[in-house]
Amino acid sequence: MITLSGLTKRYGTIQAVKSLNLTIPKGEIFGFIGPNGAGKTTTIKMLGGIIAPTSGTVNICGIDMAAEPEKAKQKIGFIPDRPYLYEKLTAMEFLQFTADLYGFNRNGFIGKAEARLKQFSLIDWADELIESFSHGMKQRLVMASALLIEPEVLIVDEPMVGLDPIAIKMVKELLTRLAEEGTTIFMSTHTLQVAEDVCHRIGVINSGRLIATGSPEDLMHQADSTGKDLEAVFLKLTQE
Amino acid sequence: MSAVLTLLKPRYLSFRNRDPSARRGRVLKMAVLGAIGVLFWGGLFAITLRVLVYFRRIEELGDILAFKLLSMVFLTFLSLLIFSGILTSLSKLYLSRDLSLVHATPVPAYKIFASRWIESTIDSSWMVIIYTLPVFTSYGVIYGGGPIYYLGVLSNLVSLSIICSAISVLLVMAAVMIVPANRIKSIFVFLTLTFFLILFFAFRMLRPERLVDPEFFETTLVYFQALRSPAPAYLPSSWSFESLRSILTGDLVGGLFHSGLSWSFAGLLVCLIIPAANAVYFNGVSKTQTAASRLMKRPISRRSVFRKLPGPIGALVSKEIRTFFRDQTQWSQLFLIGALIVIYIYNFKVLPLEKSPIKTVYLQNLLAFLNMGLATFVLSAITARFAYPAVSMEREAFWLVKSAPITLRQFLWTKFLIYLTPLLILSEVLIVATNILLNVTPFMMGLSTINVLLMVPGVIALGIGMGAAYPDFKSENPIQSVTSFGGLMFMIISAVFIIAVLVLESGPVYSIFMAQYNGIPLTTGQWIWAAGSFFAAFIMCVLFFIVPMRYGERKLAVYLR
Repeated sequence: MITLSGLTKRYGTIQAVKSLNLTIPKGEIFGFIGPNGAGKTTTIKMLGGIIAPTSGTVNICGIDMAAEPEKAKQKIGFIPDRPYLYEKLTAMEFLQFTADLYGFNRNGFIGKAEARLKQFSLIDWADELIESFSHGMKQRLVMASALLIEPEVLIVDEPMVGLDPIAIKMVKELLTRLAEEGTTIFMSTHTLQVAEDVCHRIGVINSGRLIATGSPEDLMHQADSTGKDLEAVFLKLTQE
Repeated sequence: MSAVLTLLKPRYLSFRNRDPSARRGRVLKMAVLGAIGVLFWGGLFAITLRVLVYFRRIEELGDILAFKLLSMVFLTFLSLLIFSGILTSLSKLYLSRDLSLVHATPVPAYKIFASRWIESTIDSSWMVIIYTLPVFTSYGVIYGGGPIYYLGVLSNLVSLSIICSAISVLLVMAAVMIVPANRIKSIFVFLTLTFFLILFFAFRMLRPERLVDPEFFETTLVYFQALRSPAPAYLPSSWSFESLRSILTGDLVGGLFHSGLSWSFAGLLVCLIIPAANAVYFNGVSKTQTAASRLMKRPISRRSVFRKLPGPIGALVSKEIRTFFRDQTQWSQLFLIGALIVIYIYNFKVLPLEKSPIKTVYLQNLLAFLNMGLATFVLSAITARFAYPAVSMEREAFWLVKSAPITLRQFLWTKFLIYLTPLLILSEVLIVATNILLNVTPFMMGLSTINVLLMVPGVIALGIGMGAAYPDFKSENPIQSVTSFGGLMFMIISAVFIIAVLVLESGPVYSIFMAQYNGIPLTTGQWIWAAGSFFAAFIMCVLFFIVPMRYGERKLAVYLR
């Protein structure tokens, strides 16, 4: 579903991502963890087709992002960590805008948009301007718009930032259910408990290099930290 | 096409969804701005009409001069549109905050480009078109242009706007292939200013004032020849000019031909920019996402002089100065101010005072008095650019100020002090240097320096206060907040303040100067009048120093509630 081959990104003299190779099959939730500045957001942006890699390829559902970016992006629901939203649009207008850009079927739009807004507890705010939303509400709206287009691949950067415990629980359950239904999820997070709870596999990135991948149990084994939690594994792997 | 229209929608919807409760304030703002716009428009129309009427009275030469002026208007129009097109398209195409959002969608990059280019074309040209219309209307009135002429004006202005916007965007896309967009803006503004300065000094060196001096007017033949020389045929502005000239002189076929040239070139450019954007636009956007690195890296000194100031104030001063000098967009502005000072002083140096029919000593001191107004007007413009947006410049980081152990009053007065020192020095340098060049009397020198010393704090306090009363923390470019209602009010009130002080002082200053000049002592009545006027001016300066800061503090507190 997602294949990254030799993915590299350089910013001037700084190499943010170094030759990343990864395959994530359909229906898998892949957690991407690493310290600040490790290259997580740069990788996510390359996956979403927002920036071009210096070298290497991104392949989404068999489509090369560099060769056919529009076709590849059609498959992706993208949720950035600090999304820019048009403050003077209402929640419903924003969803309409997204749906139009993705060529989403107009006939079923209202029903599906309302269902998503209800799912993210935003239905009462459907016709309110986004400028009046809290950070968590904006985050929920971005999720609603990403899921509205029923993507085959979901790319999420820090999904839990700004969400309350109820919303975190809801998002965790939602991600698990989406994966069961066949959606491939690539998620970067700092919340190790979330990664441990929902991810089938986890990749650890440090200084732009993927230093370990596997299930939480595999990682514990690799870090020789059996019996300890993911935090201990993370600290051990990234401080080595 | 539907994707392009969808991408244009947020702008329309944002406009439609503006806060209805702010309608009253908006109507007032629109009324004030509209009235100023109409005044400016009317003034421009009246001046052009007067100039054209004057030209028409000159036999033979009148029409040549009028059409030469029209050709120059088009050339200026072309340069302005290209300059504004480059800045607007850079921001719209490469620096907008919603770029990540739209580039994550399955819309081809060339369609995103097309929507941004349409926005950029409209944004960069509407104001230039509106404010050149009175000039073209004047030509229509004087030369009896019918409906075809006015249609021709609109058609040529639109085609020329499209051409300029397309040329700008091609230049921008080419430049972004070499340098990231966030760097280009500074480089471009810097280069443009340098070019402007070279042109200005070249023009001043030619001493154009000699052209109206019969002693230097050796032959009119050369002058006529220069006027008759046609505008370069390859310039798009020349086609629009030729089109309108042809229509005004009754050559409709010529008018249509040149208009056709302009439109076909516009069409060709549109056909060129889309495939060009398809090839390079996305790579440019990707390149611009590169984290900005400092151009000049040097270790930050931990032993700052500002550490001696009380905690929060020292922190604010230190932050303000560091962020100011690290912001590359400020560099070109500093360069512009430097150039402005040189030009200002140079203009005083070359004043031909000795050729004036008025007595030199009188004229020198009159100019020195008026110079106080001129220098403080220059100060107002600089304050509008730097001190007025100082509060809005905090942008989304303003939460830090709000959560810090510092009151709004302390915050605003710190801002005031930061800008007072450099601007006071600048104003005094301007006044003293020009007074020395004018060789004024000691009384006038003393009066000017004290006056400026008292007026500068008032102007800066007004700038900071009005900036705090009308903050815009969400603006992508807070510097532009000076074009808002608050900025406009600042400029108007500042001008009223300067004029009021000068008017109050003008009578007594004249009496004192004339008394000194003629060696006659002042009468008791004149002394009382002078003392009263100077005291009133002093009180006005003190009020302008305090009241706007209090007003700004109160309004900002209400805004933050």
